[in-house]
Amino acid sequence: MSSGEKFFRFMNSYSIYVILVVLMIACSLASPNFLTVQNLTNVSRQISITTIIAMAETILIIAGMIDLAAGAVLALAGVLSVATYVATGSLILALAVGAVVGVCCNSLSGLVVVKFKTPPFIATLAMQTAARGAALSYTGGQNIYRIGQYTIFGQGYIGPIPTPVIFMMAVVVLTWYILRHTRFGRHLYAVGGNEDAARASGVGIGHTKFIAYAVSGVFVGLAGVLYMSRNNAGLPNAGAGLEFDAMTAAIIGGTSFSGGVGTAMGTLAGGFIMGFLNNGMNLLGVHAYTQQIVRGAIIVLAVIWDVYSKQRRVSVDKPVEVKSTQA
Amino acid sequence: MFKSVKLVAVLLAATMFFGTAVAGEKYKMAYIARAQGDSFAAWLANAIKEEVEKNYPDMEVTVFDGQSNNETIGSHMENAVVNKFDAILLQPFDTEANRYPLLQAVEAGLVGACVNVQIDDPRLGNVDANPYDQAAVNARAAIDQIPQNANVVVLLGPAGNPHALGRREAWEDIFFKNRPDVTIVGEQIANWNKDEAMRYMEDWIQASGGKIDAIIAMNDNMCAGALEAAKDAKLGKLFAYGVDGTAEACLLIKDGDMTSTSLQSAYDLAEASVKLVHDMLKGGEAKVIMIDCPLITKDNVDQYIEMHQRAGAL
Repeated sequence: MSSGEKFFRFMNSYSIYVILVVLMIACSLASPNFLTVQNLTNVSRQISITTIIAMAETILIIAGMIDLAAGAVLALAGVLSVATYVATGSLILALAVGAVVGVCCNSLSGLVVVKFKTPPFIATLAMQTAARGAALSYTGGQNIYRIGQYTIFGQGYIGPIPTPVIFMMAVVVLTWYILRHTRFGRHLYAVGGNEDAARASGVGIGHTKFIAYAVSGVFVGLAGVLYMSRNNAGLPNAGAGLEFDAMTAAIIGGTSFSGGVGTAMGTLAGGFIMGFLNNGMNLLGVHAYTQQIVRGAIIVLAVIWDVYSKQRRVSVDKPVEVKSTQA
Repeated sequence: MFKSVKLVAVLLAATMFFGTAVAGEKYKMAYIARAQGDSFAAWLANAIKEEVEKNYPDMEVTVFDGQSNNETIGSHMENAVVNKFDAILLQPFDTEANRYPLLQAVEAGLVGACVNVQIDDPRLGNVDANPYDQAAVNARAAIDQIPQNANVVVLLGPAGNPHALGRREAWEDIFFKNRPDVTIVGEQIANWNKDEAMRYMEDWIQASGGKIDAIIAMNDNMCAGALEAAKDAKLGKLFAYGVDGTAEACLLIKDGDMTSTSLQSAYDLAEASVKLVHDMLKGGEAKVIMIDCPLITKDNVDQYIEMHQRAGAL
């Protein structure tokens, strides 16, 4: 293997982490406040909710699907969870309600995708509208205040670590374990990589897709609880467009939109890259409009890298053609 | 068989006749909200619905959601003409984009009025609170409250929004021009949102080493978000200003976390705008009505908390 191929293989596997380190060095040189424990804690907390949603998207995108309803389901799960806490005073019940609402909504999307062969784009778009409508209808469009101890999920600490970061790490480890060490995880890659081949190998396509939506629903519901708790209010308009930030983190982290490729650690790195970018630009006082342009450029570069690396992988892995020589 | 069909046809015709006759006695007003997902817009929509139901037996209102989309708002207005509404009350999203379809409706014979944001035209009624005045009452109070050489952060509303621009202009004219000692350590567009404001504030606290003395927000939501971040960073007592007089802001003022806000009362806007539309339907002229924007401080906050409690917002 030539040194160029070795470099390509290294970059293909670890480029996201190299970019993360380079970004951290650049930000710390640009702002003396960047590389402080408090700032890194802040960034971790700021990305926690988006990263949890990004894990849900990673599971779905690996299996060749997508969830456009994550932001709206987050809002519905969150406001119902807050309302449960206000009515009962039980934090455990409120957390459970958030997760159950997430599972129910996403399972319904999964059912529509599997049973009626509806494209995930359409099914989750419909869920997005319905879930947002339900959240607004339930609250009359008004925020819910005075949520008392409910803030412990989003504003609390365990030792020096903010609770949303603990939740995020738990979700990352769970996603990593599912993808790396379970049969369901292998099935996700198989279904996303080549559905026909997976079917021929005996993988239950419908079952895998449905479970993928249900698992992602748990993550979205949990994110809803954390979002409301962090904001100290039940906000029915919360999370609009959050699914796109989450998908961006997944794509930057190496998850391929064509399915079959992606890792939990890559998505976590993608989340941190987005978080450091936003944080660095805020510390430097970059205008909000410019920040959007930079974020757009990053997405395009990530996708170009994805396409380029796939083409290189094909050419590097291509069997050597042996020309027949006639005596 | 024929008799049964005839009977059903007669009953249907009678139902439609009486239904139309009954409905015809009432004025039909279409209220088009900027976006029902926006908590202030939802508060205003609910207030308008309640006002009509409570005080105008000869009027009925249908609420439409503009979804922060000029195209959708335009479609609602066109549909209102087709569906023979008598009046359109609009909470504009973009004054220029919404002007043409509203004036088209007026030319088709409907009464047209705007609430919360004005569209200047002599044929349209307008009920609004002056965005400059809303911020000005806070800015005047802040001149004496914010300490010398203070560091402040400024949270802005959406780009191009007339209320966002008017409020920022008032702070510039009344406060910043008279207090050159004050330094702005962060200023960003947080789009009226609490969570965006919280993220910006967390970063500004880092960038300034926690040396922030005041939060100047163009609405209460953003002020409350920045205060959440300040609370977490244990910044201590800050001066914090907003606009709207939301239930959350009133509670924050009561607790001593927020300094002041100015009320943009959805109830007052609803009362004045519904009355204006009703008068115009009866032949009255199109007018511009400005509602008051009183300053809410710790001294008078109790009456506004009571107002929110009566409305079920608390």
